[in-house]
Amino acid sequence: MERTGQCHCGSLRIIATGEPDRVYLCHCKACQRRTGTAFHFGATYPKERVRLDGGRKIYERDADSGYRIRFHFCPNCGSTLYWEGDRNPAVCGVAVGAFDTSAFPPPSDSIWEESMHSWLGLPPRMDHHRQGRPPAT
Amino acid sequence: MTRTAHCCCGALRVEVSADPDIVGVCHCGECQRRTGSVFGVVAFFKKEHVRAEGPSNIYVRDGQEGRKVRMHFCPTCGTTVFWEADLRPDHIGVAVGAFHDANFPRPTGSVWEASKHGWVVFAHDVAHFPTGRPT
Repeated sequence: MERTGQCHCGSLRIIATGEPDRVYLCHCKACQRRTGTAFHFGATYPKERVRLDGGRKIYERDADSGYRIRFHFCPNCGSTLYWEGDRNPAVCGVAVGAFDTSAFPPPSDSIWEESMHSWLGLPPRMDHHRQGRPPAT
Repeated sequence: MTRTAHCCCGALRVEVSADPDIVGVCHCGECQRRTGSVFGVVAFFKKEHVRAEGPSNIYVRDGQEGRKVRMHFCPTCGTTVFWEADLRPDHIGVAVGAFHDANFPRPTGSVWEASKHGWVVFAHDVAHFPTGRPT
């Protein structure tokens, strides 16, 4: 299946094929600033299953891991739709809010809860992590 | 009290010198797309209590009933930090996430719940509105 999302002004569109590997919330400082809201709502995919369509600009910075991470945003309205980084070059992330409301399942993980807003209610069946998700064993 | 909001790269900054008049959550499609998340959280301050510095690009979008909203975002990192809305001409809206303060005053209202994600709930009492707040 294909899911299509768009930025605030509609100039940059994103097409994701198949089901995401992971759907999650992130409450970290960087995500709160980038989104301007209480948390980031993201999904990860293998890169080959996501396509961007339209002009975009890239903001690159160091991630907490020390690897470089790149955020792709619309130069007309500023919305960030997609990111990819050097830590795991085969994977990309998408901003779930850019898609139709009912397009994605609820998040299964909630990370960086140490900086979460206290007034938030979260879905009942989630894995909660004070910081990042532990690496897979 | 004084608080500072800024974008991801730090170039676009807003300093506010008073508490917000309104803190609200908005579930409309515009806020969901702008944030890439399930809702936007906004704090409205009187214009005289807001000082912005740094370069911003402006995206003008349509609001309700012919009104406009002018969104100020950083041209380097894309973060929308503040906006001017015709609905509230005496106020500036600031993206609460840009303050990065988990103890920021809680939202008192939740608007445009007609497009709310089903799993989103609040752990405290807020006023709920299916569309905008009544004026």
